[in-house]
Amino acid sequence: MKKKIVKLDINNHVYEVLVSATDLLVDVIRKQIGLTGTKKGCGQGDCGACTVLVDGEAQLSCLMLAIACEGKKITTIEGIANQETGELHPLQQAFLDHGAVQCGFCTPGMVLSSKALVDNNPTPTEEEIKHALEGNLCRCTGYVLILEAVESYVDSLAKGEV
Amino acid sequence: MNILHDFEYFKPGNKKEALELVKKYGNKAKVLAGGTDLVIMMKEKMIKPDYVIDISDLNELKGITYEEGKGAEVYACTKVADIESSEDLKRKYPALAYAASQLGSHQVRVMATMGGNCCHSSPAAETPAPLSALGAKVVIASLEGEREMPIEDFIQGNRRNDLKEGEILYKFKLPEPEKNSACRYGHIGLRDAMEIDCANMAANIQLEDDKETIKKVKLVMGSVAIKPLISKAVPALLEGKKLTEELIEKTGEAAQGEAKPISDVRASAEYRKDVIAALARRLVKEAYEAAKEA
Ligand SMILES: Cc1cc2nc3c(=O)[nH]c(=O)nc-3n(C[C@H](O)[C@H](O)[C@H](O)COP(=O)(O)OP(=O)(O)OC[C@H]3O[C@@H](n4cnc5c(N)ncnc54)[C@H](O)[C@@H]3O)c2cc1C
Ligand code: FES
Ligand code: FES
Repeated sequence: MKKKIVKLDINNHVYEVLVSATDLLVDVIRKQIGLTGTKKGCGQGDCGACTVLVDGEAQLSCLMLAIACEGKKITTIEGIANQETGELHPLQQAFLDHGAVQCGFCTPGMVLSSKALVDNNPTPTEEEIKHALEGNLCRCTGYVLILEAVESYVDSLAKGEV
Repeated sequence: MNILHDFEYFKPGNKKEALELVKKYGNKAKVLAGGTDLVIMMKEKMIKPDYVIDISDLNELKGITYEEGKGAEVYACTKVADIESSEDLKRKYPALAYAASQLGSHQVRVMATMGGNCCHSSPAAETPAPLSALGAKVVIASLEGEREMPIEDFIQGNRRNDLKEGEILYKFKLPEPEKNSACRYGHIGLRDAMEIDCANMAANIQLEDDKETIKKVKLVMGSVAIKPLISKAVPALLEGKKLTEELIEKTGEAAQGEAKPISDVRASAEYRKDVIAALARRLVKEAYEAAKEA
């Protein structure tokens, strides 16, 4: 299997990784780069655990070839907290404050899908939040707390608190 | 299961280069657009192309244009999410924009393309039925030139279409909607999100100038045959008439009579037949009401 050095811009850091054409982005992020916040659930596009932001849009790293991501900006869950202070992103904090995290397996994907939504549309309706999160499955929280967490972040954004 | 077989990856820089690669490698190659079908098929070892030609970032294959009176062009690699949110498409072709919004999940829509949806040619796919009801044509490109045909002739059966070696799907052409017409799309699945439709349907109705008599109907059913099924019975029943409650009932029966669904994990054939009748009644009524306002 022929390998090639590929430059991947992940969380504003350019990583040079040796990949073959068949390596999936999720595996490269987890195993080669060591950022294990991105989860691998179904591997079929169904659960959303592997969601990362690619050029600001929530996409599924289990269905992407790493080699196809050269030149794109990738953000994982590790990249949204304040890199210097380590302070959580207010959306992450809202998930904690609302009990929207239990086992945590879905959480990185949920947070990144919510972030992509609110970055594009800072005042989403409840329906719009549900539509944006329909590809993220949670086995623990029952979704209500997740919805509340996102709504509270939207509220504090509108009030200029975050 | 998640390990892909070995293949060589190409990322051509423009359409011409893409066509050269497609021609050179013929049926040993597969084109990659969003990958939401292709990568899964490769993971499941349903296909093992030796070469993968990534056309997802080619600007020549992306975008939506609309010109009043002339209609729209949607390039093959336009993301389903962009079709869902296009103001022009929402205004002029709401059935298509709505169908796009119902495909998969947000992440899938951001990655998936309409070209991929039609080239995958699944009987349950979301966009072929509204495209067909709206009279869309596909434009197919190769190094030799372009050819075009109605979407319903392009899709020939489950995962079968009219693409020949050396060709790619280039764009979709949507005619300007007829005067006094409206098209509506609906689907039924096991749950609201992420399901594969057990049946879908699009109905396009054009009224005479009196805005009551039905001039033309095109009703297309998805997921109940190997390819989008265009009703013959419903136009025969409705054209030249004003819509009544009785005709709505008969419309359901007529569509049901034509559907040839199968039973599978998602639904029994019997249930699909019931659903087809319900969809036909609902969509014909909705499209008729909308056409009156058009
Ligand atoms: C979780 C999940 C849920 C889904 N839900 C739905 C759903 O609800 N409804 C639905 O309809 N689909 C659904 N899909 C299927 C899929 O997302 C769509 O069919 C999608 O539109 C395919 O587009 P793509 O760009 O990803 O295609 P790809 O996977 O890149 O390609 C699909 C096929 O088309 C060929 N191809 C692509 N573009 C071209 C071109 N321009 N010229 C020639 N050949 C081409 C490829 O070679 C391949 O054979 C779902 C998929 C997933 C993973
Ligand atoms: S692991 Fe990618 S969607 Fe489940
Ligand atoms: S918190 Fe456990 S899956 Fe969502």
